[in-house]
Amino acid sequence: MINNNMKTKLSHKASGKGSTFLSSTIYYFLFIISYLLFPTICRAATYTPDNLPIPYLQDKTKYVSNPDGLLSQTAVDSLNLWLGEMEAAHGVQTVLAVVERVEGGETYDFCMALGRKYGIGSKEQNTGLIILLSTGDRAYTILTGRGLEGTLPDAICKRIENRQMLPALREGDWDEAMLATVRAITRYVDGDPSLVGSSDFDDDDDTAALIVFLGMMVLAIGLIALGIWLDERKKSYCPSCHQHKMKKISSYTTKNKRLGIRTHHDTYRCAHCYFTKELHWDEDLHSGGGAAAAGGALGGSFFGGSGSSFSGGHFGGGSFGGGGASGRF
Amino acid sequence: MKTLKSLLVAILATMAFTSCTYNKLVEQEEVVAQKWADVQTQYQRRADLIPNLVNTVKGYAAHESETLEAVVAARTKATQITVNADDLTPEKLAEYQAAQGEVSQALGRLLAITEAYPDLKANEQFSELQAQLEGTENRIAEARRQYNEAVQTYNVSVRRFPNNIWAMIFGFDKKTPFAAEAGAEKAPEVQF
Repeated sequence: MINNNMKTKLSHKASGKGSTFLSSTIYYFLFIISYLLFPTICRAATYTPDNLPIPYLQDKTKYVSNPDGLLSQTAVDSLNLWLGEMEAAHGVQTVLAVVERVEGGETYDFCMALGRKYGIGSKEQNTGLIILLSTGDRAYTILTGRGLEGTLPDAICKRIENRQMLPALREGDWDEAMLATVRAITRYVDGDPSLVGSSDFDDDDDTAALIVFLGMMVLAIGLIALGIWLDERKKSYCPSCHQHKMKKISSYTTKNKRLGIRTHHDTYRCAHCYFTKELHWDEDLHSGGGAAAAGGALGGSFFGGSGSSFSGGHFGGGSFGGGGASGRF
Repeated sequence: MKTLKSLLVAILATMAFTSCTYNKLVEQEEVVAQKWADVQTQYQRRADLIPNLVNTVKGYAAHESETLEAVVAARTKATQITVNADDLTPEKLAEYQAAQGEVSQALGRLLAITEAYPDLKANEQFSELQAQLEGTENRIAEARRQYNEAVQTYNVSVRRFPNNIWAMIFGFDKKTPFAAEAGAEKAPEVQF
């Protein structure tokens, strides 16, 4: 396309018509600008399983993906609360997404790909659940994980869609469509005593994270101690008799104010063969806190890392066999 | 003595290597068998849905008996063919696929005629049956996909050197994946 435009521009230039040349140049720039802008606009409204934001991964209290802002904040908060209770009490892990458009316009395919990508639901129970509404495609899907097919058979999913979701969708009330759907699903899930809650697992998770964190701390302290010890051992090494019996017998410092350096002159003598050696090392007076700064940075990264693992959710590797129901409105 | 020792080591190493390969092939063959069982379960599930669906449609469209009978006949024929995972030859798989394909076509025709009966379409029981059928078709597609994946993993293992030597000795043959359904590659045409 760009090449074509270039050609028109060149041919106009050759014919020497000033005004046409000017307008074609303007078109050319307009074209480039639209070319630069348009893909971003497209990307904002059409989602693939790979680029759909999943807030749950950053914050495990957020089950709703609402990238186009089609749901109100109040609705999102209620949905997050209910879905959180459902996961804690029954171990049903949900992703609920409301978007403008999905790639290909097929919500079922999108949900299957999403389920395959993230492995939503625990591996033991396989109770993942995906609810997707694509308002631009006017299509929706409730996809149930393998372990949820007994609690929410296809016919029940269809019934929930027909009775709860559809009336609100026909009115264009996306909030009510999702709220009513999740309310109905919660009733079925609450009625199934075989589903085991995940609240116990969560505690284990946090304990495990704490143990890992403490382990890393101990390891870090151990490494620093080892470093100091090795350093001392190196200093006590006698090059004459190859024994670690050097001892510091005297030391003095000189200062170079211009360079900002303090030089240490240490004399070591071997207790075994009385060999003496001198060690000179410089201390930079301006950045004396270097080691402390490095330590701070280390601690910071430790805390940052553990912070995200405490609050971010993770999917358990559940699988989907194609259960659920889809429809259009 | 030294040659004897190195010979012994070589034999032991080969044995360890072989048993490792052998176990891997057995494992992958089991996965294929399990995925094949899944495929058959899903087709059976569809067959189980058909009587209910036919009865519901009959209540509204009794004079479409020809289409209804075609579905029942195709179902009866398809349920008679079951293939054991041990003898998944290309011929048997093709036969199985053809029989199930007939059921799919008969069901497609049945669902097409239901479009002409608004009362039937408004019936909630029918809508839910249709959803179940749709879900089952989705499950069949997923089961077939997973079966094909397992077959591919297994076939690659069997053909890769040096596994192919052990596969030949122990009799691990290549397995047959599902071929794309005839006509499935082109989207159905909608006419108004």
